[in-house]
Amino acid sequence: MLMKIIGGVLVIAATSMWGHAAAEREKNRYDQLQYLQKLLYMLRSEILYARSYLGEAFLQIGQRAKSPYQEWLLKLCMQMEEKREGAFAGMWEESIYDFLKDSGLPKKELLRLAAFGSQLGSADAEMQVKTLDLYLEELRLSMEELREEMRTKIRLCHCLGVMSGIFITVLLI
Amino acid sequence: MRNDRVMRVLPRNVRIALSREQLNDSYVQELRLRVGKPLLMVYGGRERMIRNERDGPYIVTKEDVREMLEYVSNFSLYAYEQEMKQGFITIEGGHRVGITGQAIIEKGRVKNLRYISSINLRMSHEALGCADSVFPYLTQEGQLCHTLIVSPPGCGKTTLLRDMIRQISDGNRWVRGMAVGVVDERSEIGGCYKGVAQNELGIRTDILDGCPKAEGMTMLIRSMSPAVVAVDEIGSAEDVHAIEHAMHCGCRLLATIHAASIEELKKKPLINRMVAEKQFERYILLGKRERIGQIKGLFDNRGSLLYSETGSGSC
Repeated sequence: MLMKIIGGVLVIAATSMWGHAAAEREKNRYDQLQYLQKLLYMLRSEILYARSYLGEAFLQIGQRAKSPYQEWLLKLCMQMEEKREGAFAGMWEESIYDFLKDSGLPKKELLRLAAFGSQLGSADAEMQVKTLDLYLEELRLSMEELREEMRTKIRLCHCLGVMSGIFITVLLI
Repeated sequence: MRNDRVMRVLPRNVRIALSREQLNDSYVQELRLRVGKPLLMVYGGRERMIRNERDGPYIVTKEDVREMLEYVSNFSLYAYEQEMKQGFITIEGGHRVGITGQAIIEKGRVKNLRYISSINLRMSHEALGCADSVFPYLTQEGQLCHTLIVSPPGCGKTTLLRDMIRQISDGNRWVRGMAVGVVDERSEIGGCYKGVAQNELGIRTDILDGCPKAEGMTMLIRSMSPAVVAVDEIGSAEDVHAIEHAMHCGCRLLATIHAASIEELKKKPLINRMVAEKQFERYILLGKRERIGQIKGLFDNRGSLLYSETGSGSC
């Protein structure tokens, strides 16, 4: 009997931890979006106030960013300095899939970010800032949406974790 | 062609076409890309057509021009908005990339360019020592004279000005080393990259890069107390006013201007008054009949010829 109780407790603990991990993943997606928003605001001010060109801005921001964004931005800057083949949009897209695929960013956002490269480097600074503003606005809406979903999902993950543990224990006993 | 700074702004296919040619960097003066037209180069004063792999003329595509614009602007055209308005961008090393296309007008002024159809890459050449021959005539009672370099485009006035700055800054047989303030509005004199001059401008030179001339001269005089102020391609009323201000602040002035002769210079509005009032003490007139940068005549403020490399200099 004691073994059954210990087994049951272990199963419930394991599934609860799984539920907790799933909830953390949900929270991390939101945190990543928030961090991306912060980086894009930094890019906006580099363009608006310092008129830095993209490579320079990526270097400045990359040096202060955390992993994997740091590796992404620094590599992109290096590619822009060295690799003089093809358009910027291609380089940007490729670097996003190389470095941010496992960052925790929602897939929908990753696709949108990859497509955003074609709108960077336009001829007018005002237009460039407005394009960034539009992207940031869309990002804000995505974050709001995700935040609303997140509360329910986190609770659900916790509940499902515990409940599935109890369910498995009952089945086994 | 091996000049890395230039090669890295060229489209990939143009780079390949150029690598097939036997070229000496020091003879390359200009490279002209026009959409749908053959790629042309001014090489040692003569036009040369660049060939493709089938030995026919290399025809520039729209894609080549777009690619080159991306490289020239470091993939960030917005950062060069002001330069685009003027019709050219200066790249690392002081080389000038001229652009034409359709102008976008806002409130009656050019706001930007679009549908870029032609690009002209003009090489900047450093010719150390090219000012050696003029220095004996540029001093009066141990003082450097206010000097105006007069030349049509492409005759080497910026190259001469650059060497004069370097020699004045370092000091030579004729002048002691002096602090020189350079206002490099188009980044052609110093060829600055991230604010640091890539061309040799001497040990006592302070350079204000990308700053409008009139504002820059005042800033330099206030902040760096230069003994000599140097500016390129003067012309506007603000420039003339700032030059007069600098002259009255005790600074010696070096400037360049576009004109084919002293007669033409005297017909230029605003400048004609400065010539009549003898504000500049020396005029160096350049030409390119025998070679680029040839000194057609060096005159004093009365119009007397002091020196000439052609033997037939006229005022």
